Amino acid sequence: MADALHTLSAAELGRRLAAGSLTSRALCEALIARFDAVNEKVGAFTHLDRADVLAQADASDARRQAGQGRGPLEGIPVAIKDNIAVQGQPLTCSSKMLASLVSPYDSHVADRLRAAGAILYGRLNMDEFAMGSSTENSAVRKTFNPWDLTRIPGGSSGGSAAALAAGLVPLSLGSDTGGSIRQPASHCGVVGLKPTYGLISRFGLVAFASSLDQIGPMARSIEDCELLLAALASADARDMTCFGPDERALTSAGEAKKLRIGIPKGFLGKGVAPEVAAAVEAAIAFYRAQGCTVSEVELPSADLAVPTYYVVATAEASSNLGRYDGVRYGHRSAQAATPVEMMTHSRSEGFGAEVKRRILLGTFVLSAGYADAYYNRALRARAKIRAEYLAALSQVDVLLTPTVPTPAFKVGEKASDPLQLYLEDIFTIPANLAGLPALSVPCGQSGHLPVGFHLVGAPLSEAKLLAAGRLFEAAHGFAHQQAAL
Amino acid sequence: MAEGFDIDHLAKLARLSLTAEEKALYSSQLNSILGHFQALAQADLPATIDDARVVRESALRSDVPGPSLGAAAVTRIAPAARDGQISVPRVVDDEA
Repeated sequence: MADALHTLSAAELGRRLAAGSLTSRALCEALIARFDAVNEKVGAFTHLDRADVLAQADASDARRQAGQGRGPLEGIPVAIKDNIAVQGQPLTCSSKMLASLVSPYDSHVADRLRAAGAILYGRLNMDEFAMGSSTENSAVRKTFNPWDLTRIPGGSSGGSAAALAAGLVPLSLGSDTGGSIRQPASHCGVVGLKPTYGLISRFGLVAFASSLDQIGPMARSIEDCELLLAALASADARDMTCFGPDERALTSAGEAKKLRIGIPKGFLGKGVAPEVAAAVEAAIAFYRAQGCTVSEVELPSADLAVPTYYVVATAEASSNLGRYDGVRYGHRSAQAATPVEMMTHSRSEGFGAEVKRRILLGTFVLSAGYADAYYNRALRARAKIRAEYLAALSQVDVLLTPTVPTPAFKVGEKASDPLQLYLEDIFTIPANLAGLPALSVPCGQSGHLPVGFHLVGAPLSEAKLLAAGRLFEAAHGFAHQQAAL
Repeated sequence: MAEGFDIDHLAKLARLSLTAEEKALYSSQLNSILGHFQALAQADLPATIDDARVVRESALRSDVPGPSLGAAAVTRIAPAARDGQISVPRVVDDEA
């Protein structure tokens, strides 16, 4: 019985906990045993404080015993990407820069999870400062795709996706600046949601590109993803962009079988692997057979999305990462006699190659003489892309594409060509540029590797996306899937 | 489009010290990435930005003191601290 706990959904675990047939301690002990058996192989977690987890579990069991359970997440472990602050736990962003940092405070989402009775369970590996699509940029360790340990899990929330696919935890949090929740979800065969910009507070999320960053839920089923989303969305004055929970996002789904689905012209063509295209076309055929309307839509500026994103994101990153100067927290070089030397040496020693590359690029596109040609043009392109997406979404309810053009690639395969790696995000980036909600749903396999499709909706249409995902999931066998390890 | 790209100047602005190998590698990679950005230079774009990600004025909180971490928590995570304050290399010379 205990051996099977790692295969169960959060919803089912919640039911057993509520019925008294399971305790949070027994669940956490089973997951710790699973951690000891497979984490070394997969590398999803970078830190797990067993004593703290069991203390949280005992407190949860005591609350439940006293009739003070806090809801459906009471006693359920949620693992957290290592760029989201949890008081007393490491907050390294998988960077040497923050290798010894222990967070002195809780993020808003950590507050929310504690208020929901969830167990804050360990720290998940990621690309350094969330910059990457393979988790190979982690300064801590590599994470491997549980479906094929020679391949990448995606990124930057690679640990969050791999932990789910390996049965290490039932729920996880990721962050998504250009696809960092959805791309690893697709590669690992799990569900990942990037909410509407502003739905979930980023207070306590280490900033990468503030006009794009969102925290979001990841799970092995749509139902679990919904459970976690409901716990996270709440107003927070500490993030000025957060407008808090909105009933439209959480409940007004409408009938999934009546959805109008738009297929962006050309998105299933060039660069998409045949088996990915086939899986996504089968999903489209499924929706059509269910009674949904399927039509082609035009997004003429789609080709501008990747360059626009890499100008805006690196510009904001170069500014946000200016705070790592060796003064207040993080790495300080021992080789420094003056303040400027301290800053320069600390940054040079603390940041990895991809972070330096993006800081340099962002510094360039903002620099005197170039800001008009790059940054300001990118802002205008972003406005155009957003307008085109909103126009398309006034004609249809959701846009459906592959999440990623190709299945997970081999570790090291694209490490020397950053531009090729940036193109991994071609389908996911526009939702960040336009602030729209987007969901990756497992829809098939290419050989033994998972494939996902991607739904984008109008602002606050999360419930609609999840309803569409649920319709597909109910008719196919991809929910709750885990890799054999 | 990357005319005038000066890796030394850029590194100085970004407060990064790069080895000769890093300079060569980043120069080549950034030139290749900037080449991909050509599409932006050639695109027909709106003259003004109607960007809906503006922060609502009502979202700004009052400018009054609120709870904060406190000196002990802040100095605990600082690379170097003394007498409840963060210490750094000397900023101002005695003669200055």
